[in-house]
Amino acid sequence: MDTGLTKEQLHQFELEIVELFKNNQISSPIHLRSGNEEKLIDLFKSISQEDYCLFTWASHLECLLKGVPSEEVKAAILRNKSIALCFKDQKIISSAIVGGNAPIAVGLAMSIKLKKETNHVWCFIGDMAFYTGIVQEAIRYSEVHDLPITFVVADNKISILTPTREFWGNYIVDAAKKSSKCIYYEYKNGFPHVGIGGKAML
Amino acid sequence: MSGKMNYLEELEKSMLWLAEKNDTIFLGQGIKCGGIGMAETFKKIQPEKVFEMPIAENLQLGMCTGLSLNGFVPISVYPRWNFLLLAADQLVNHLDKLSIMSDGAYKPKVIIRVAVGVREPIDPQEQHVGDFSDGFAAMLKTVNVVKLTVAEEIFPAYKYAYERTDGVSTILVEQHQA
Repeated sequence: MDTGLTKEQLHQFELEIVELFKNNQISSPIHLRSGNEEKLIDLFKSISQEDYCLFTWASHLECLLKGVPSEEVKAAILRNKSIALCFKDQKIISSAIVGGNAPIAVGLAMSIKLKKETNHVWCFIGDMAFYTGIVQEAIRYSEVHDLPITFVVADNKISILTPTREFWGNYIVDAAKKSSKCIYYEYKNGFPHVGIGGKAML
Repeated sequence: MSGKMNYLEELEKSMLWLAEKNDTIFLGQGIKCGGIGMAETFKKIQPEKVFEMPIAENLQLGMCTGLSLNGFVPISVYPRWNFLLLAADQLVNHLDKLSIMSDGAYKPKVIIRVAVGVREPIDPQEQHVGDFSDGFAAMLKTVNVVKLTVAEEIFPAYKYAYERTDGVSTILVEQHQA
């Protein structure tokens, strides 16, 4: 699907959220992303309206690109839903637990296969999530049973402030690229993990 | 009377009743390949509805949540409460919270079948006899915990867990003491 949203429009949305946060109109943590807008715009050209998307705690841009109107995304953020955005009409489920979206995504993919439907499941994860046991199990099960699912591995090389490679090495590059169920890309998040008014923000 | 055979027969009757429904599906380790006491209760179910799983408790429960979001009513089977503990993330953070997170838009209905290990005729020891029903009942905001202490409770509890229309998931705990 192609919403026509540009890199600049996506970035502008995040900047608006920053302003709302600074003005204390949002009273929960928010997680912002930049630097991957072009990758996401390109990726969503392969995603259809009927596909399920399982996102993480940082999914403002993905929700916009899946077709949720910006005012709806903003309204949900203002209701303190930023880190677990769910929009049933757009088949979006997000989880603020690292790797928590992966097994749900596998179940959805299994349901599609059993019902002989034609849509697909896209499960978005980060580099630290990739190494968790639950994500490895989810990928492995999906490969062995050839489920209609793709894990989108977005590697920004850091988890909060912890450098992923210091603990897990460089395995992710080969492992994700070799998997028939993974798409891998690297990016650098333009929004640092900072605190504003004593509230955490990434 | 709620003797051992009756208890097992009620479980088998409940599984068969569930299996007659078009939208049910069974997932668990040992439920098709055998090797667990519960396996007997799945033997008469059409094999295409029974999915043997690897030992991956958290994956299994999350998969059941996903299956339920696309029209299935999954029965997720765990032979011991101690094993279900390993699915606590998907149980507490996801299945229990999705309806809250989505303002009621998503209401995954999963039936969880779990048993408390019994000390007789052989003692399975401390890691297989845990009963965490009360603790989880206190922790869960939407998922119901139902204790099945006598045979007469079994079928009505499974029937209600399946037929309820409020999208609430149920953990059915086998507490039968031999």
